[in-house]
Amino acid sequence: MSTPSPKRQGERGFSLLLIVFSVTAFWQSYGISGFSGLSTAGVFPMLASATMIVSALCILLQSFSDTNNTAHTAVAIDESNHSVLTLRLVVMLLLISGYLIAMPALGFTLASAAFLFLSFSYLWRKSLAVSLLITVVSVTAVYFIFRKLFQVVLPKGTLLQGLL
Amino acid sequence: MGEILSNMSIVWTDPWLLFLTAIGTLAGIYVGAIPGLSVTMATSILISFTFKWPVNDALALITGIFMGGVYGGSRTAILLNIPGAPSAIATAIEGYPMAKRGDAGEAIGLTTVMSVIGGFVGIAALAMFAPIISSFAIMFNSRDYLLLGLIGILLVGTLSGESFAKGVFAGALGVLIGMVGLDPMTAEGRFTFGNVSLMGGIPYVAAMIGFFGVAEALVQLHQLDVAVVRQKVDRIIPKLRDVKRYLGLALRTSGIGTIIGALPGTGGDIAALLAYDHAKRSTKNPDVPFGEGCKEGLVAPEAANNAAVGGAYIPMLTLGIPGDAVTAVIIGALFIHGLKPGPLLLVETPHLFWFIVGALMLANICLLVFGLTGIRIFTKIVECPKGVLIPLIIVLSAVGTYAIQNNPVHIYWMLLFGVIGYFMKMYGFQVGPVILGVILGPMMDSNYRRAMLGARGDIGTFFWNFVSHPITLVLSIALIAMLLSQTPLMRWFYRWRAARRHPGS
Repeated sequence: MSTPSPKRQGERGFSLLLIVFSVTAFWQSYGISGFSGLSTAGVFPMLASATMIVSALCILLQSFSDTNNTAHTAVAIDESNHSVLTLRLVVMLLLISGYLIAMPALGFTLASAAFLFLSFSYLWRKSLAVSLLITVVSVTAVYFIFRKLFQVVLPKGTLLQGLL
Repeated sequence: MGEILSNMSIVWTDPWLLFLTAIGTLAGIYVGAIPGLSVTMATSILISFTFKWPVNDALALITGIFMGGVYGGSRTAILLNIPGAPSAIATAIEGYPMAKRGDAGEAIGLTTVMSVIGGFVGIAALAMFAPIISSFAIMFNSRDYLLLGLIGILLVGTLSGESFAKGVFAGALGVLIGMVGLDPMTAEGRFTFGNVSLMGGIPYVAAMIGFFGVAEALVQLHQLDVAVVRQKVDRIIPKLRDVKRYLGLALRTSGIGTIIGALPGTGGDIAALLAYDHAKRSTKNPDVPFGEGCKEGLVAPEAANNAAVGGAYIPMLTLGIPGDAVTAVIIGALFIHGLKPGPLLLVETPHLFWFIVGALMLANICLLVFGLTGIRIFTKIVECPKGVLIPLIIVLSAVGTYAIQNNPVHIYWMLLFGVIGYFMKMYGFQVGPVILGVILGPMMDSNYRRAMLGARGDIGTFFWNFVSHPITLVLSIALIAMLLSQTPLMRWFYRWRAARRHPGS
C-alpha cells in the first residue's frame, strides 16, 4: 500500500471542521429550549444539527475509505488533485474583501471601478489601457442598467458626500 | 374558460411584458450558454432587482430567463463540449462529436426545435395537471408537507452530489440556516446570540447569491486558463425530414422530462440523463453509434430538459415545494412578491397561475426565434474571457444583494456564504440542497410542530399518524424507500439477489 494521500488537499481537515461546526450547532440548538418538549422551538434545529453530525461523521469515514482505493483510481485523482487554497483565490478574496469594506466610504461606483480594474489586471493580464477601458465600459453599463433602468439603489460613499 | 384565456393572453398583448419575456429568454440563452454563468446564478441575482417591480413584470422576466437558460446550456455543450448547465451534459456527449464533424449548425437547429416541442409538452402538462394536483393538495396535512420537504431535499442531495452523506449534510445545513432568527410561533430567538440584526433571520437572497454567484465565480478561478476551441457553424434551420423522424422520440422523452421535472427535488439534469438513456435503449439501429454524434441522443435530452421546466412548475405552484435549485430560487422570488406558492395559489390567485402559463408559452416561442438566429454574435459573446467574467459576477452579486433591502451587512453575508460555498463545492458538496433547505426549513419546522401538536405531544401517536392516513402512508413509504436505497442494506440485498440468480458465479 502506498502512502495514503487524501483525494483533495485538506479533505479530512474539512470533514473534521464540519464535525466541530455541527457539534457546536447542536449545542446551540440545545440551548434554545433543551429537551423540555417535542414541539418547542429548539427541536427542529436539534434534529437538523444532529443530522449534520451523523452525516459529517460518515463523510469523514468515507474520506478514509477513499484513500484505500487510490490504486484503482489513480487517473481520476491526478485530475482532481488541484489544491483548494490557491494563491489566485487568496488574492481574489483579499480584493473582494477590500472592495466590500471600501464600498461604504468610496461608494458603489468608485469602489467597483477600482475593484474591476485591479481584478482585470490581475486575472486577465492584458495591457493596463485595455483593462482600464473594459473597467470604464463595465461600470458605465452596470450603472445605467441598474441605476437608471432597474432603478436599483446603489450604495453611495461618505467620502464624496454621496455624489457617486 | 374566457377568463383563463384572457389571463393567459396578458403577456402576449402588453408590449412591455412581451418585451420583458423576450429579453429574459434572450438573456437566459446567453447566461445558460456562457460556461461559468448558471441560470440559477442569473435568477438569484435578478430576483433582487425585480423586487420593486409589479409582480407580472417580474414573473415575465424570470420565466423567460428560466426557459432560455435551460436551453442555453446546450449551445456550449455542442460548440465547446462544455455543458453550460448540468442539464446539458447528455447533449455534449452527442452534440460535440456532431460539431467536430462540421454539423454544429444542424445540431443547434435540431436541438432548438426539439427543446421547443419539449417545452410545450411541459407547459401543457402544467396547465392540465396543476389544477388537479392543487385540488388534491388541499387535502394534504402538515405531516404530508413535512414529508414532501424531506423528500425534496433528500432527492436533490442524493441525485446530484458526490455522496449521499454530503447531500444530507448540505440539506441539513440549509435547514439550520433557515432556522436563524425569531421563531415564528413563539418569538424565541434561535441562533441570534443577542444580536438584533440576526433576529430577522439570515437574508436568503444573500445566501442564494453567495452560494450560486460568488462561490461559482471563485470555483471558476481554477479554469481561468482553459482555451476555447472554435467550431464552424453554417446551416441552422433543421431539415423537416429530421424533425418528422425524431418527433415521436421527442414526445416520449418530453413525457419523461415532465414527470421527472414534476417530482419534488428532481430537475432538468436528471430528466435529460434518463431521456438519453431511454433513447439509447429504444433506438435499435441508429445511423451513427451513440457517443459519436447520434441525433437521437441529442434530441432526447434536449426535449426532456425543456419539458422539465413546465413539470418543475407543478410542485412549485401547487405544493410550494421547489423541484430543483432554480425553482427554489423562483419560490424565493414569489415569496418576496408576497405570493404564497401552495395549494391555495390556484384558489386565491388563479389569474397569476394562468399568467405564468401564458408567459411560459411566449418564452418558448421566443426560444424558437432566438435559438435559430444570431448564432454568429453568440459565438463571440461566449468567448468572453473568464478573467473579465469573474470580477463582473462579483460586482453584479454585490449589487443584487444590496438591492433587496439596501443593507450593506447583507453583502458581507453574501461573501461569507460565497466562501463557504466555494469550499463545499471543492470538496464535492452540492450547494443546491443548502438553498432548498433554507427555503423549506422554516416550512418543515412549522409543519413538524403542527403535526406534533396535533398528536398532543405524544410520540407514539405522532408516528402512528404517518402510517394511518393513506396520503401520508404513500409519502412515508417513498421516503423510507429513498433512505434505504442509499444504505449498504440495499447493496447487500442486490448482491444477495444476484447470488441467488447465478449460484455458480
